[in-house]
Amino acid sequence: MNPEAPTATELQQHPTVQAAFAAAWADSFPDDPALRHEEGGYIYCDPTTGEVLVRRTLPGELRVLDLTHPPKLPGCFLVGTYHTHPNPIAIGWDPEPIPADRREAQESGVPWFVVSEIGVFVVGPDRRVGGLGGSAGYPL
Amino acid sequence: MSAVMTIPTISRQQAIAIAEADALPVYRNLDDLTLEVSLHNDGWHVEYQMRKPRHAGGRPHYVIDAVTGEIVSKKYYQ
Repeated sequence: MNPEAPTATELQQHPTVQAAFAAAWADSFPDDPALRHEEGGYIYCDPTTGEVLVRRTLPGELRVLDLTHPPKLPGCFLVGTYHTHPNPIAIGWDPEPIPADRREAQESGVPWFVVSEIGVFVVGPDRRVGGLGGSAGYPL
Repeated sequence: MSAVMTIPTISRQQAIAIAEADALPVYRNLDDLTLEVSLHNDGWHVEYQMRKPRHAGGRPHYVIDAVTGEIVSKKYYQ
C-alpha cells in the first residue's frame, strides 16, 4: 500500500505552495490588460522526506495554460497542479474554475488549485489518487 | 403539457456571429476552440469548448434570444 499523499487542504496551507500561488499571481499581471495571462505549475511530494516542492510551467496565454507535461523530479510524485485566473470580475470574467477544469482535475487524479482575485479554489480529488506510488506524474 | 418553443427568427449562423462579435474583443483568439450550438426554450446556447486534455483553458458561453438576437446571458470563463 502506498503512503498517502497530502490532502488539498494540507497543500494549500503549506508555505511553499502559498509562496508559489503568490508568485504566479504576481507574474500573471492581473492589473495590466495588455500583459495579463495565466501562470501556474505543478506540486510534488517526496515520500521519504515529506518535502513539498513546486515547479512552474511555461507562461500561458490570456485564458489558457498547458499543464500536460509535469517534469519528473527524482523520488517525487505529482500531488497537485495550480493555475491563475487573472482576468478581472469587473469586466465580466468569471473567476471560478470552469466545468472543464473540474472534469480535467477529476480525470487527472490530483487536485487542481485555481488562484483568483477572490481567493483560491480547488477542484478534483481531495488528494492524489492511489497515494505516493506508481507513476510519478499524473496517476490517471 | 409540453412547453411551446417560439419560432426563431435568428438563425443558428446569426447566433454564432452575435456570440463571436462579443467574444473576440475579449478573448482575442478563438481558433483553438470548437463550437456547440443548440436551440432551447430560452434561446440559442452558443458554447465554445476546448478539446485539449490537461489544459486549463477558458471559453465563453452565451444564451442568445432566438427572436431578438439579444444576448440574454453570457459567461466569460477563464
